[in-house]
Amino acid sequence: MNWLRIVRAELRKLTSTKMPLAFLTVFAVIGAATATAVAFGTDMDGSKTFISTAADQQSLIAFAANALVIAGLFGAIAVAREYGHGTVVLTFLTTPRRPRAVLAQIAAAFVAGSVLGLVGAGVSAGSVAAGLAATDYGFMVSAADLTRVLAASTLAGGAGAVLGAGVGALVRNTGGAVTGTIVLLVILPPLAVQMVSEAASWVPSTLANVVSGVDNATGLGAAIAAIGLWALIPAVIGLVAVTRRDVV
Amino acid sequence: MQQLSDQKPGPAARSYPITIEHVTKTYRGGAAAVDDLSFIAEPGRVTGFLGPNGAGKSTTMKILLGLASPTSGQATIGGLAYGELPDPTGTVGASVEADAFHPGRSGRNHLRILADAADRPPERVDEVLELVDLGAAANRRAGAYSLGMKQRLGLAAALLCDPPVLVLDEPGNGLDPQGIRTLRNLLRSRAAQGSTVFVSSHLLAEVEQLADDVVVVNQGRLVAQGSLAELRQSASLVRAASPEALRATLEAAGGIVENGQPNTLVVRGLSLDEIGEHAFRTGIALHELSPHTDSLEDRFFAWTGGAAAGGTDSNT
Repeated sequence: MNWLRIVRAELRKLTSTKMPLAFLTVFAVIGAATATAVAFGTDMDGSKTFISTAADQQSLIAFAANALVIAGLFGAIAVAREYGHGTVVLTFLTTPRRPRAVLAQIAAAFVAGSVLGLVGAGVSAGSVAAGLAATDYGFMVSAADLTRVLAASTLAGGAGAVLGAGVGALVRNTGGAVTGTIVLLVILPPLAVQMVSEAASWVPSTLANVVSGVDNATGLGAAIAAIGLWALIPAVIGLVAVTRRDVV
Repeated sequence: MQQLSDQKPGPAARSYPITIEHVTKTYRGGAAAVDDLSFIAEPGRVTGFLGPNGAGKSTTMKILLGLASPTSGQATIGGLAYGELPDPTGTVGASVEADAFHPGRSGRNHLRILADAADRPPERVDEVLELVDLGAAANRRAGAYSLGMKQRLGLAAALLCDPPVLVLDEPGNGLDPQGIRTLRNLLRSRAAQGSTVFVSSHLLAEVEQLADDVVVVNQGRLVAQGSLAELRQSASLVRAASPEALRATLEAAGGIVENGQPNTLVVRGLSLDEIGEHAFRTGIALHELSPHTDSLEDRFFAWTGGAAAGGTDSNT
């Protein structure tokens, strides 16, 4: 059986419910809030220095850290609900070799997460641009930097979705998978930094900002590799768990 | 579901017996859900799989379909484990959970996903939706379907690849009388064309009309297996002037004797000839000696010690 057919089936699963629409709605809300903040928000001193330079605006647009978390939740829900709704039974009946089925799920989650990340960054850039139109400042981010922000968010979205998919496969419960993903991406990193300050450079949000070009805590290559590890470790654990246990 | 019985199975040129060989499934810290279970479901026949709640039916089906691994033993379809079949969905159509779909997804999209994965054309989706009379509801959310419609969607999924083996867990649940009749005609038709049809059900009257063979399990163990006709007729009815004396004689000869109507015994384990000879030797006059046919329900309760039939033992 052609593995790409299974990936196509998994992509159809992701796009044939209202879940993507719900996430796009979240982006729209974030975008509206961003545009409002850019248009009407000020710094503590009443100035608008937070949008006064290209670097400031790039930081505002940078969506990769958000994409990591949001796509992580998307991946977690997408895979965990398969168990909740029992559709995983049909998945493993059509693809009895479970590693192939899980890899297809992960690949589809990566694609969908990447699209979410790209759309999220696009909405973020558009929101900042729209907000700036109501101010005295123009859009100063260069095309190259904007491309980097979009690419970083695309990568982070894909990685987040893979991480979430791994957690979903491991936990098999939507609530638990959402909680697990939030713990991994939001709660655990600051705690780790509290214990080992050197870890600050390697937590997901920092790495996402490095890839977006708004932080230089590590090198670009190292940041991309570290984000990949953050995503792949839960995914591999989830894959092994699915392969070894019964479908009940 | 008007034309279901006209459907012919796909690659039926080869036959695919379902073979369960000494399968045991023990969960951690618990008793065996399935205990040294062995039976064969033959091609060309409808095999009913019966047992009370918790008997191990669903576990056995999941082991057969590669969804659960046995602690020991093996389950094969045409000599191969499900996961080793070259074209699993083209060989076996299965429906093991009636509501195994996303409630927000349409019936059509549910099947499109399966068709994508199984490399079947989208036109086939519409064909099977029409077959199960869900064409008009194809674009509705499956979560809004009635139980009967959900069952038909599960059946459509099982038939999608036109397989020569059907494994169905409680397919009649929620169907209206017309739907049950159509399902029965479909399954009988598929078996008549050489398919292996393996169906669990708690609707004993339905199984009685549907199955050629039955496999009965209780507490994970096989308690009866064979053709339904033989199993139902494996008793003799004896009416005698001295039933208690006859009872003692027949039990001493190895028979299993139950009280029937007044002065009447139902005897198993001895042939009509043997019963007549034992009665003659002990001088007991017989007023009637005839083959006795139980209802499946009577036999089921005898096999399972009175346990209620059930098919929703999804946790076993």
